[in-house]
Amino acid sequence: MTDSNEKVLIKGNYAIAQAAINAGCQCYFGYPITPQTEIGEYLSAQMPKLGRGYVCAESEIAAINMVVGAVSTGVRAMTSSSSLAVALMQEALSYAASDELPVVLVNVMRAGPGLGYIYPAQGDYNQSVTGGGNGDYKIIVLAPSTVQECIDYTYRAFYLAQKYRNPVILLADGLLGQMMEPACFGKDPYPEVDVSSWALTGAKGRESRAIYSLGTDEKKQVQHIYNLFKKFEVIAENETSYEEFETEDADIILTAFGSMTRNIKAAMKVLRNKGIKAGCFRPITLSPFPYKRISELAAKGKDFAVVEMNMGQMFKDVKYAIDGKSRVGLINRPVGEWLSVEEIVEAVEKIMEKSYATSIQYS
Amino acid sequence: METNFILAGFGGQGILLAGTILANSFMLEGKNVTWYPCYGAEMRGGTVNCEIVVSDSDVSSVHKQDTDYALVLNQQSFDKFVHRVKPGGTIVSNSTLVEQTRPRSDIKYVFAPMTQIANELGNGKVANMAALGVLASVCGVVSKEFLAKGFEKVMSGKKKELLPLNIKALESGYNILAQAK
Amino acid sequence: MQQVFSIPKSMKKGFRYTFCPGCDHGVAIRLVAELLDELNLQDKAICSTSIGCSVFLYDFLDVDCVEAPHGRACASATGVKRARPDKFVFTYQGDGDFASIGLAESMHTALRGECVSAVCINNTTYGMTGGQLGPTTIMGQVTTTSPYGRNKEYYGYPIRIAEQIALCDGTAYSARVALDTIPHINQAKQALKKAFEVQLQGLGFGFVEILSSCPTNWHMTPQEAHIRVKEEMMPVFPLGVYKDVTTEKGE
Repeated sequence: MTDSNEKVLIKGNYAIAQAAINAGCQCYFGYPITPQTEIGEYLSAQMPKLGRGYVCAESEIAAINMVVGAVSTGVRAMTSSSSLAVALMQEALSYAASDELPVVLVNVMRAGPGLGYIYPAQGDYNQSVTGGGNGDYKIIVLAPSTVQECIDYTYRAFYLAQKYRNPVILLADGLLGQMMEPACFGKDPYPEVDVSSWALTGAKGRESRAIYSLGTDEKKQVQHIYNLFKKFEVIAENETSYEEFETEDADIILTAFGSMTRNIKAAMKVLRNKGIKAGCFRPITLSPFPYKRISELAAKGKDFAVVEMNMGQMFKDVKYAIDGKSRVGLINRPVGEWLSVEEIVEAVEKIMEKSYATSIQYS
Repeated sequence: METNFILAGFGGQGILLAGTILANSFMLEGKNVTWYPCYGAEMRGGTVNCEIVVSDSDVSSVHKQDTDYALVLNQQSFDKFVHRVKPGGTIVSNSTLVEQTRPRSDIKYVFAPMTQIANELGNGKVANMAALGVLASVCGVVSKEFLAKGFEKVMSGKKKELLPLNIKALESGYNILAQAK
Repeated sequence: MQQVFSIPKSMKKGFRYTFCPGCDHGVAIRLVAELLDELNLQDKAICSTSIGCSVFLYDFLDVDCVEAPHGRACASATGVKRARPDKFVFTYQGDGDFASIGLAESMHTALRGECVSAVCINNTTYGMTGGQLGPTTIMGQVTTTSPYGRNKEYYGYPIRIAEQIALCDGTAYSARVALDTIPHINQAKQALKKAFEVQLQGLGFGFVEILSSCPTNWHMTPQEAHIRVKEEMMPVFPLGVYKDVTTEKGE
């Protein structure tokens, strides 16, 4: 069932967990937090049967550092958590990025700031994309919009993490984690990555290896950071991915990430029926962000409306990409009920009416 | 084409299970379907509910304001969701536990004694299957045959023993309105 | 001519000694390296390193090392061991790392009975940052953040790590040793050996707390510092084996 082409009705959280198993995740470390606890529950039942590692960590801080330890030996490992607890993991992500360790972290977002509540939100765009840890580093961030994509991008997350030796965040949200949809696991489509040149396996027949971020030599540290960013340029070149719909003749392009993508697609159809030439653009990799493509579309005079469940976090990146070449409006609600298709349609009409001189914020 | 369902009742009435069975039956028919529990602050207050969106083509949008069908098993759910039904939509209610009132004139009302059907079959727990039967009899999108398959898919292993009773409840629910005529 | 002294194989060739004069880290690291040689562990060892003066461990030990953020060495070691159960996994931490910021990770690693070995240097202060009050600073001790001496009103009490770790059911071995005299150094080596062996035997968490001098931050000569270890530290932190599942002996 879970590695075949048969469709199964499955929750996003379980889908991610099973996909991790299929991707060869050898160890899972986690601490419970709604709305992603099912991932740990599922794996606590499966991993021992497969002879793989599972630890109920004492904290999220411990969990992610266990991942750091595990992946340093060349195996695939992951943790999962949600917003406020992902904040606790930022230190380790900064280390892992500097140490070039293939950490995989699933963040099933909930509302903040602070404790917030368990209803869904998209307030971790910044935390994921710009990083909440210290120093200059970059994380690869993948944002699924369906349960099927939860599976597909989990496979991709493990692959990219090892291919580029860089931490990857799978950025889902409470809705995706809790919803059930028919999905197909298939087989992990990505090739195995050779980790033998750097993995810690004991210094047998080779020199010992040390993985650390301590940079006492200023000049070397400068070069190290340049190298990290050069690597990320390669990642941006090879891996930036997005989807677009009916942008060719569009006057206005609705832009969203994650599960909000579904609603802008539906809103686009309604707007088209009303005679408004709307298109859709959806970054799949939030980092690297598809600046180039948005810039191209803006250069063709296409305006944008960014629809998101936060105070305009991705909006800033879209605006940066557009760089004054066209206009952009924000349609948002900070947390809670996803902006409905009706709300989006109404907001787009208002924004167009006011020549993008306004943002539409729903309460 | 998209059709939306809200299933609601109180904890223990098997609402989430009924929703899962319904969603599975849509999947087995080859349709796109999304199931999500009412999630967040709305979980409080005694009622349990889930939403299901079925679509012939694309994956659906999420968080509908209105629904085509509301299947409600208790009074609290009726009072809440009668206002979430689209004009022209239908609310299907468990008349054993819901008063037969019609607070709006722009929607259709279906009342059927779902809990009573289940009790008469000797197990109050199968009211949810009787409810799905009623829903199938009034909603062209839902097929009784696929509901039975959906049930089999969800109830694996030992739970399969419950199949005959549940199918009986499904059938009884499906036939109840015709009998009443 | 017979060679009577050499650098252990598990130490890096030509390393530059960067610890302060009289610091006991050098002896502790050498003991670890000697044991890696004697137990034939160099090529299967993975060390989870820590933050503090111990941060420079990978300059000295010629084994695979992965760095953990401050306090997280035991968590990282857990990850390594779960991923590679056939490897010899150990941490080398200071008291601040192990018993202050990382107390939760250390304790839970012991409670889970992870088959890893942990070495903790107790010098009653934060050495690397210049001698501040730490979890093991003893009552009355003057540090840069306890200029009037440690008192219970402002600072509470120090932790006795080896005793605490011995209380954890997953701990196979817990001992406190010192490096102030040759007999104590020999005992320390035996304790470290035991803490390594319980891992190899799959018995659980192996732990050694090492009382160490910090002449620089104590403002003492190396000799005075070792006298302090004996006269001020040992009464608070008695040497001994607090748990040993191989003999069912504990004090």
